[in-house]
Amino acid sequence: MTTAQRTGLVIDIDVRRDGFRVQAKFEAGREVVALFGPSGAGKTTTLSAIAGLVSPAQGTIAIGETTVFRKGGAGADVNVPARDRRVGYVFQNYALFPHITALKNVAYAYGRAPDAHGKAMRYLEMMGLADFTDRYPDELSGGQQQRVAIARALAREPRILLLDEPFTALDESLRRSLRKELRAICDGMNIPVVLVTHDLSEVLALADRVVVLEQGRVVTEGSPLDVLKRPGAETVSRLVGVENLFEGVVVAASQAEGVTTCDFGGLQMEIPYSPLPHGARVRVGLRAGDIILANPRPVGLSARNTLPGIVRTVARKGFEMEAVVDCGREVRVDLTPRAVESLGIMPGKNVWLVIKTNSCFLIE
Amino acid sequence: MIWDAFLLSLRVTAVATVIILVAGLGLGWLFARARFRGKLLLEVFVALPLVLPPSVVGYYLLRALGSGSPVVEWLHIELLFTWQAAAIASAIVGLPLMVQSARAAIANVDPALENAARTLGSTELGLFWRVTLPLAKRGILAGLVLGAARALGEFGATLMVAGSIPGKTQTMPLAIYDAVQNRQNDVANQMVLLMTALAFFGLWFVRGLESSRRRRPQAESAA
Repeated sequence: MTTAQRTGLVIDIDVRRDGFRVQAKFEAGREVVALFGPSGAGKTTTLSAIAGLVSPAQGTIAIGETTVFRKGGAGADVNVPARDRRVGYVFQNYALFPHITALKNVAYAYGRAPDAHGKAMRYLEMMGLADFTDRYPDELSGGQQQRVAIARALAREPRILLLDEPFTALDESLRRSLRKELRAICDGMNIPVVLVTHDLSEVLALADRVVVLEQGRVVTEGSPLDVLKRPGAETVSRLVGVENLFEGVVVAASQAEGVTTCDFGGLQMEIPYSPLPHGARVRVGLRAGDIILANPRPVGLSARNTLPGIVRTVARKGFEMEAVVDCGREVRVDLTPRAVESLGIMPGKNVWLVIKTNSCFLIE
Repeated sequence: MIWDAFLLSLRVTAVATVIILVAGLGLGWLFARARFRGKLLLEVFVALPLVLPPSVVGYYLLRALGSGSPVVEWLHIELLFTWQAAAIASAIVGLPLMVQSARAAIANVDPALENAARTLGSTELGLFWRVTLPLAKRGILAGLVLGAARALGEFGATLMVAGSIPGKTQTMPLAIYDAVQNRQNDVANQMVLLMTALAFFGLWFVRGLESSRRRRPQAESAA
């Protein structure tokens, strides 16, 4: 029996639904696991199966020590109904009951229990909503609705928390602050949390581990940085759209000039200004398609980063070519076959990498 | 005669309305949420009385409730020419209006809300009662009023299965016809006015349901 079986989630399912199939197999301890992938990959279907809202054709699902679903395996079939699974589910767009107040939404989890409202009140207070208990969902802002939804899911005293795209309905500035709040809540709960998202920055900000789904299958899994950096994880880099990921430190920042200079192990680059202190650790993403190769060294460019390097490999990638250039560390660059030919790009050739400041983006 | 007919009409309509409410909710839910073989066939079957001449519906009912039918042969229940038969006829003719309205109202409730209720520990009946029904309430009420009004006005099918026995099965629509046949114009006038008033307020109520906004003031975009 693995650790996850004792404390978290073990899932190995095959769901068939309207001519589309999801085969998901992974485990989660008492940690935040992100289910990451493009829309239609089967992320929400997987959550629904854990919650008992969708029945897999076969497989097993265990939450903590309880097997809540088993079909086609060893032992008798099991299918615990959704109402008995004690799963906290924060739905996409929250699914708050529009006809009852915030307090009654949260108290719903307690049915007709005598102290339902008192208990619900505690969760609303915990989420900082003590003053909004009598508001109806449409009288709350997006961020407040999200918090009511989380309070309602927690009021269930769940054994696992499922979050389906909890931030999509919110604007960018709100996302950042709520992300921190959510991370703190997850840390305080000591139960497995499964987060569905197609947003890389959410994975990096919230998840301990990431499971990448594509077309109904698990493509890869691991720690977020490992998965992003793992060489040859083509699907991942395509999903993510970031082929180059650098880790380094801030060496200078100038708000007036609008740039922050970072050092990536001997390689200095300017990225868009961000109010980070000197010496702060940063992760910067750079798409292979955003880099220009030149030879000889170009002059009179607006691009601020011009770095010398040597081509290591050139390989076909679909209709394009991908060159790996060594400039102190390896950088992947996408090129058209015509550009490769006219510039004479081949292993061993000296080239200059030209990178716009604005193509470098800080991953938080 | 007027009051006999009026009270009988109320009784027939009340019983028909209860049948319409229960059967209409069940069928409306089934058509909105369930998937099963023969669903389309059942939907068409339930809607048929809406387009069939009432005398045709009445004829079928006559065969279904008359001698030789299972109801009489096995259950020994004789319903023909009783007010109960009139109630059944009225319910069947009024039912499609309720089913259509209830189906649309229930289908309009976001299934995610029902799923949320399931994950929060609700039974199917519990979530129907606490989530689906309150959210579909207006459409269901509107359908019920339309169905009840149609039941109140039932003439053809009722005549076929219950006859027009004064004081026993003669409801208002039948009594009006009788009054006109017997040239009792003032009786007819009074009953026609009564029926018109009932219909008027029924429609007024439905129209009010359709256009009423929630009375709660909308919050100015809270942030």
